[in-house]
Amino acid sequence: MARRDGIAALAMLLVAGAALYESAKLPFGVARNPGPGFVPWWIGLALGALSVVLGVQALRAGGAAAPAAGAARSRWGRVAGLLVALALYVTALAPLGYAISTFLLVLLMLRPLMRGAPASALGLAALAAGGSYLLFAVWLKVPLPPGPFGR
Amino acid sequence: MEILSLLAGGFAVALTPTNLMYCFIGSFIGTAIGVLPGLGPPATIALLLPVTYGIPATSAVILLAGIFYGAMYGGSTTSILLNIPGEAASVVTCLDGYQMARQGRAGAALAISAIGSFIAGTVSVIGLMLLAPPLASFALRFGAPENFALLVLGLMMVGYLGGGSMTKGLIMALFGLLLGMVGLDPIMGSPRFTYGVWKLSEGFEFVLVAMGLFGIGEVLVNVEKRVAPDVLKTKIGGLLASRGEWREAGMPLARGSLLGFLIGVLPGGGAIISSFVAYALEKKLSRHPERFGKGAVAGVAGPESANNAAATSSFIPLLTLGIPGNASIALIFAALLIHGIRPGPLLVAERPEVFWGLIASMYIGNVMLLVLNLPLITLWVKLLEVPYVVLAPFIVVFVLVGAYSVNNSVFDVGTTVVFGALGYALRKFDFEPAPLVLAMILGPQLEAALRRSLIGARGDLTVFFQRPIAATLMVLAILMLLSPLARRLLRARFQDVAG
Repeated sequence: MARRDGIAALAMLLVAGAALYESAKLPFGVARNPGPGFVPWWIGLALGALSVVLGVQALRAGGAAAPAAGAARSRWGRVAGLLVALALYVTALAPLGYAISTFLLVLLMLRPLMRGAPASALGLAALAAGGSYLLFAVWLKVPLPPGPFGR
Repeated sequence: MEILSLLAGGFAVALTPTNLMYCFIGSFIGTAIGVLPGLGPPATIALLLPVTYGIPATSAVILLAGIFYGAMYGGSTTSILLNIPGEAASVVTCLDGYQMARQGRAGAALAISAIGSFIAGTVSVIGLMLLAPPLASFALRFGAPENFALLVLGLMMVGYLGGGSMTKGLIMALFGLLLGMVGLDPIMGSPRFTYGVWKLSEGFEFVLVAMGLFGIGEVLVNVEKRVAPDVLKTKIGGLLASRGEWREAGMPLARGSLLGFLIGVLPGGGAIISSFVAYALEKKLSRHPERFGKGAVAGVAGPESANNAAATSSFIPLLTLGIPGNASIALIFAALLIHGIRPGPLLVAERPEVFWGLIASMYIGNVMLLVLNLPLITLWVKLLEVPYVVLAPFIVVFVLVGAYSVNNSVFDVGTTVVFGALGYALRKFDFEPAPLVLAMILGPQLEAALRRSLIGARGDLTVFFQRPIAATLMVLAILMLLSPLARRLLRARFQDVAG
């Protein structure tokens, strides 16, 4: 817990530093006529101060967290895998179109089901892609990316 | 008398077939997501926001509000039957509700919970109806300094009451304020933090942020920790509590309703805190505190009525002051903004059909939920049998297509995924995303109020302490900020004296 808070404090300190640096580039103004950089600068400063407080609290609490167990690491792998799949989906959405890329994404997410019941996985992927297409593209008239087979 | 005629007007709006349908859909979806762990009201409201773009504002708010208070009803079902809180506000119901189910009193627990929720919800709607209009009239006196002080106090309360560490709550609020500043500066219109990306000049679309943080973020967390629920094969039996059980539930229901209503009004208060406070209060007041955790009726009646009352009363700061007290209400705030309606003191006077239509729909929704909940319990339990591995892709697809439909833009889908990753990281580091979302939505208002106050007072910072309302609010905010420090000093002093 304390170690995680320490890491979080450092990350937030970086965000605060970036906010201070970036807002310093904007016109600061004066108290009777504050400019666009005025409020973000003060918020960056307050965020930095609170990050230091969090860091101090973490240091006082002390004690490193237990190292990640194998199971936890493999579960984290699932999260990383899904994030990569989502990033690929964003990249593929325009060139492949909504229906194909969504079908592939869902199929990828249903990998555990693919091992035992591939037909169900394929059916569910088709249902998710087709059903959402019908709801959004046909019913709600959202112009979803058509892909290589579209107009 | 005037209130009754306004309420009659509200019923005329809420009882149209279209609005009745939206009220039913909202209550039904709310109950379903309340039952399902891993998909909370903020995520569901975020998911459905794009669907509401094409429907009238009143219908949209009736639908989304139904989801919010419906989830409070649904959450208790799985807490009682399966020891799985479908909703964070129902965690405490597990303690005694599940024990009642194990003792073969599941039907009584469910009946007390559903009828208690109905009574509390209705009491809270009456309170909302009576309190909101005078509060809105009072808030009309607010100028920029009062608005700034109110927003500061609101954010401070969200950090203070939002659960967990106050330092982390405030860090999230400040981070949210910074994110809310991306785009054009609200006074001069010059771009900030846009880095030449024209898409960012209008700032981060709130809907995308919410869908990412609550939709994708929750899926990522659940994908990591998913374990199969241990389903108790209990017999629900008759859905009637005995006369003795009702007698036992009476006062806890009344206290829970009142307590929940009061806590729900506070920004950051809401359903979760009220259920815990109600449980603690009932245990303290009970002549048999040893029965708590072993199937005490008061342990179900108190928290369940409190969380429903709080869910309804949390609309008060939104509808009267324009301050959303929690993430779900912030999303309803966003839905109203999308429809060109600014929640706040002018809402009651300028858009009475929205305000009174919503209030009337809450009365109707509470009746619908009571009718829906008990007969459909077997359906809700069946719903839990859908494995998460099947549910998760559907949630993700709905989020992604919803994100795309906001502006028909792939960039928006990417933004949602990035905020999803951020939501996951925040939860891993024990940060609550709710203060971030609230601060993000209130950020531009807060900045505009601060700068207008300073311009008006020629840079005199004491302007926030010269006017009585602003001064009171600022003093409360400062006291709240200093309270953890004061508590620590008092504890140290006490230990010194004792030592």
